[in-house]
Amino acid sequence: MRAVVLVIMGVVVAPLLGGLIAGVDRRLTAWFQSRYGPPVWQPFFDVAKLFGKERLLVNTWQVVCAYIYVTAAMLSVVLFFLQSDLLLILFVQAVGAIFLVMGAFSATSPFSQVGANRELIQILTYEPLIILVFVGIYLATGSFKISEIYSQTEPLLKSLPLLYIVLGYALTIKLRKSPFDFSTSHHAHQELVKGFLTEYSGPYLALVEIGHWYEVVLILGLCSLFWATSWVGIIVLVGITYLCEILIDNVMARMTWRWMLGSVWAMGLSMSFVNLIWLHGR
Amino acid sequence: MDALKAFIKKSRIKSPWLLHFDCGSCNGCDIEVLACLTPVYDIERFGIINVGNPKHADLFLVTGTVNHRNKKVLANLVAQMPDPKVVVALGACGLTGGVFREAYNVVGGVDKIVPVDVYVPGCPPKPEAIIDGVVTALRKFTRKKDDRP
Amino acid sequence: MLDSFLFILIIGPFIAAVLCYIVRIPHIRSLIVLATGCLLAVTSVLLFINGSFSHTPPPLLGVPPRWWVLWADDILLLTMLYYAFKRRHLFSKILIIFQFVCLDYFELFMVDHDKVFPPFVADNLSLVMVLVISIVGSLICVFAIPYMNKHEAHQKLEKSRQPVFFAFLIVIMGAMNGLVLSNNIIFMYMFFEVTTLGSFMLISHDQTETAIRNSVRALWMNCLAGAAFIVAMIWAYVTQNTVEAQKLIAAGHMGGIMLMPLALLCFAGMVKAAQFPFQSWLLGAMVAPTPTSALLHSSTMVKAGVYIALRFAPGFAGTFLSQCLTACGAFTFLAASAMAVSQSNGKKILAYSTIGNLGLIFVCAGINTPEAITAAILLIIFHAFSKALLFLSVGGMEQHIGSLDIEVMRGLYARMPRTAIIAVLGIITMMLPPFGVLLSKWIAIEAASRHLFVIVPLAVGSALMVVYWSRWAGVLLSAPYEPHVAPEQQGVLTRLPLLALAGGAVLLSLCAPFLYAELVVPMLPAPPFTIRAGIFENPEGTFALYPITLVLALGFVCAVFAAGKARKARFEGPYLSGAQTADPETFEGPMGKPVAVTSGIYYFESIFGEEKLTVWANICGGMLMALLIGGAVR
Repeated sequence: MRAVVLVIMGVVVAPLLGGLIAGVDRRLTAWFQSRYGPPVWQPFFDVAKLFGKERLLVNTWQVVCAYIYVTAAMLSVVLFFLQSDLLLILFVQAVGAIFLVMGAFSATSPFSQVGANRELIQILTYEPLIILVFVGIYLATGSFKISEIYSQTEPLLKSLPLLYIVLGYALTIKLRKSPFDFSTSHHAHQELVKGFLTEYSGPYLALVEIGHWYEVVLILGLCSLFWATSWVGIIVLVGITYLCEILIDNVMARMTWRWMLGSVWAMGLSMSFVNLIWLHGR
Repeated sequence: MDALKAFIKKSRIKSPWLLHFDCGSCNGCDIEVLACLTPVYDIERFGIINVGNPKHADLFLVTGTVNHRNKKVLANLVAQMPDPKVVVALGACGLTGGVFREAYNVVGGVDKIVPVDVYVPGCPPKPEAIIDGVVTALRKFTRKKDDRP
Repeated sequence: MLDSFLFILIIGPFIAAVLCYIVRIPHIRSLIVLATGCLLAVTSVLLFINGSFSHTPPPLLGVPPRWWVLWADDILLLTMLYYAFKRRHLFSKILIIFQFVCLDYFELFMVDHDKVFPPFVADNLSLVMVLVISIVGSLICVFAIPYMNKHEAHQKLEKSRQPVFFAFLIVIMGAMNGLVLSNNIIFMYMFFEVTTLGSFMLISHDQTETAIRNSVRALWMNCLAGAAFIVAMIWAYVTQNTVEAQKLIAAGHMGGIMLMPLALLCFAGMVKAAQFPFQSWLLGAMVAPTPTSALLHSSTMVKAGVYIALRFAPGFAGTFLSQCLTACGAFTFLAASAMAVSQSNGKKILAYSTIGNLGLIFVCAGINTPEAITAAILLIIFHAFSKALLFLSVGGMEQHIGSLDIEVMRGLYARMPRTAIIAVLGIITMMLPPFGVLLSKWIAIEAASRHLFVIVPLAVGSALMVVYWSRWAGVLLSAPYEPHVAPEQQGVLTRLPLLALAGGAVLLSLCAPFLYAELVVPMLPAPPFTIRAGIFENPEGTFALYPITLVLALGFVCAVFAAGKARKARFEGPYLSGAQTADPETFEGPMGKPVAVTSGIYYFESIFGEEKLTVWANICGGMLMALLIGGAVR
């Protein structure tokens, strides 16, 4: 029974929450830029409008890939709510990310192709870091299962502070916020037009957007695990983290993929290493 | 089902994404369009985003006289916009070719190539006028039939 | 019963190979190959159903098996020596003569042949290997029949070299079966050398200069492995006074002196499995015809190397040797995955991927916990199917388009839809859940999590794998839209192996809980996972295989259904800044002339380039290997 409720929460509530977070994101960004910005439920209007558009396609692979992306993102969130295995959640989420890249590669537009290449570099950058964060959680709690984290008495942030920063890197890359927004980016920050999402339009772009909401909820959920001992802790931690994300997004300019791969791997892998050795030593 | 359709229809007005194309303009109108996006006018609070991609756009703002070189591009861009869409011609040049109408390379007005829904006169039109034009254009989305007259 | 099974599985292929060589009528040879394949596949299943055994076969034609083995060994070594002289390769000559002298002295003067023990012993690991070799190997041989016909037609050969080709292809299957079923270490050595000779002959099949050069490299490296094997054999005999593998494994626990031969055996296995710094022979072997690459260099022969490590793993569990093995494997996994990212040659990508996955199996053999062994065995099975599938697809593509370059394969879906879809399916089964290779990788990562210096290369290597696989899959689909794509012509013998391997990869992944329960658990002291409703459960992790398969399959069905309905949508070309023309592959350029739209994949040559990394990787790999052997002395 509880499982059914959690599944429904994962499937229905998570995207609503994700959309709301996206709306708050735009509102806060506007506030940083001395503007008013759209209402917080703007993303829902965006997605509804997109569903009502004519279907315009370059090929049928885009359709397949958009659907599988949403399915995988939804499944990973449901698994998260069901407190399943962290590595499994990562790999299921990767199914969606990879299909999205494949859909982008399948379009013969240069913007799509270059965007897809860059998205692969982004995946390459964050995936090992997230695996190492999960290994850190394993060393701290003795299991990869999320249920174990909730049975701890001390917040994970205490033993895994550096790994939380590494997770922050991964979060920034996954959310495609500046300086890591070269494969595609929010709103109108064009470099490659819309990068690998250029050829997705109408209802399929709406599906991709909903998939992205699921992923935002998943990643913020992962952040929340680091203070799983109290509700106040979760809200404060996730709130501060997301605020920092928006701040960094507004303050930094878009960089290059070489810089990202070099600096994030250098910082991320070394911080992970230090934290993991720390855990081993305890 | 009907509630959903009504919500989608409402969303078309609440979230118009625009594509801005300079079809041979002196950039005066273009600067005014971009001024609308700045914090002073802040059209993003109406949900308007300047996407650079016709496939994502609902609203097409065209400036400039249109010449024999870029008329194909204009037609191509409109063809790659999914329905429902509205085309707004800005400035005197966009309406009829403005002062450049007699030049040999000028086609003279956007509506000679693609059907236009709203004309915003001015040289350049003020941001308020452009916003007014966009709002008029959005009313098209609420009409019973989505096809053009 | 067991006698006939063993005869069919081990001697049968040798006989069939001789027949293939003698009978010069192509259709009869094809029938022989087909019949051998079916027979091997069926027999391997029957053998598996029969269960674990310990068996002494009767003398063959009145001569005890050990004499056959010695004669076979001598003939093999002399043949290799002949070729070493023909190719004028000094190091090979030295290694082969060394092996010849040591082996004959050992067999004739040192070994006490009065000690009787069953030379053929099989536990589940062996039976699983026999199944994989016989089934996947047979499918590859079947595919090879039309493939080689077309291959030789392309080359416009006057005299067909297919008799030799098929002879060695089949012989290797028999040798592999013999290797995994052997309990006598001398027998294992003989089968090991058969695969070395077979590999040498098959790599040089096309007789081009590159092929001959690469075959010589394969020869000397594998002879190095053979030499290490012999030294290990002799050393082990001197300390333990037996050539029985089971006893040697048990003796390893006494540590100390026994570790050196075990280290040398691991070394031999690692060279056979093309781990760094010995990876160049496998990369060079890609010049061979594709069935060779599929059979030898991905699904079966290189698995001999990992098999040896897994078989002897209980002997060195928990020692420094074990840790070194893990380190070597992890480093290879990382380096191979990194270098694959810079490759545009399809077969080289597959080769690097094979080397990487074999490294992962060595990691599991080194960690040696029940989870790790589970991961190793499952990975052997699933990797064999998926990799063979990919190699065969690439072989088919190469014959159709004349190139192995991924850029030429761009948009292959429009020209060869069936092969492209099967290749994409193969790639997906190699890297994504809910398929077996990813399940094995999940188990391996969870097993390796306590080992810091292993988990970091595994994490980075696994992300690199995603890069080179997904871009290949995407590029295969990258064609302008055609409402109806004409499927390419595929003969039965080409399509059947591809479909069987694809179906096998998918269905076996679904059967992973059964494979685990029936094949893996009996081998382990304690089952590392419990399975409830298709979910692998364990205090440290859980893999909800059936639930996620169900949801992903449903999503896939919806996706395909939606794609079908989307055919009524409006199709426009890609966004090309408004400059598109009626032809989706061009845009209007200067002077109104059409310019072709071209794009490419990032190969990151400056970071992951083969030339850049190989030297460093070889140095590191060499140091780790030295540590492996030197560390055993402790």
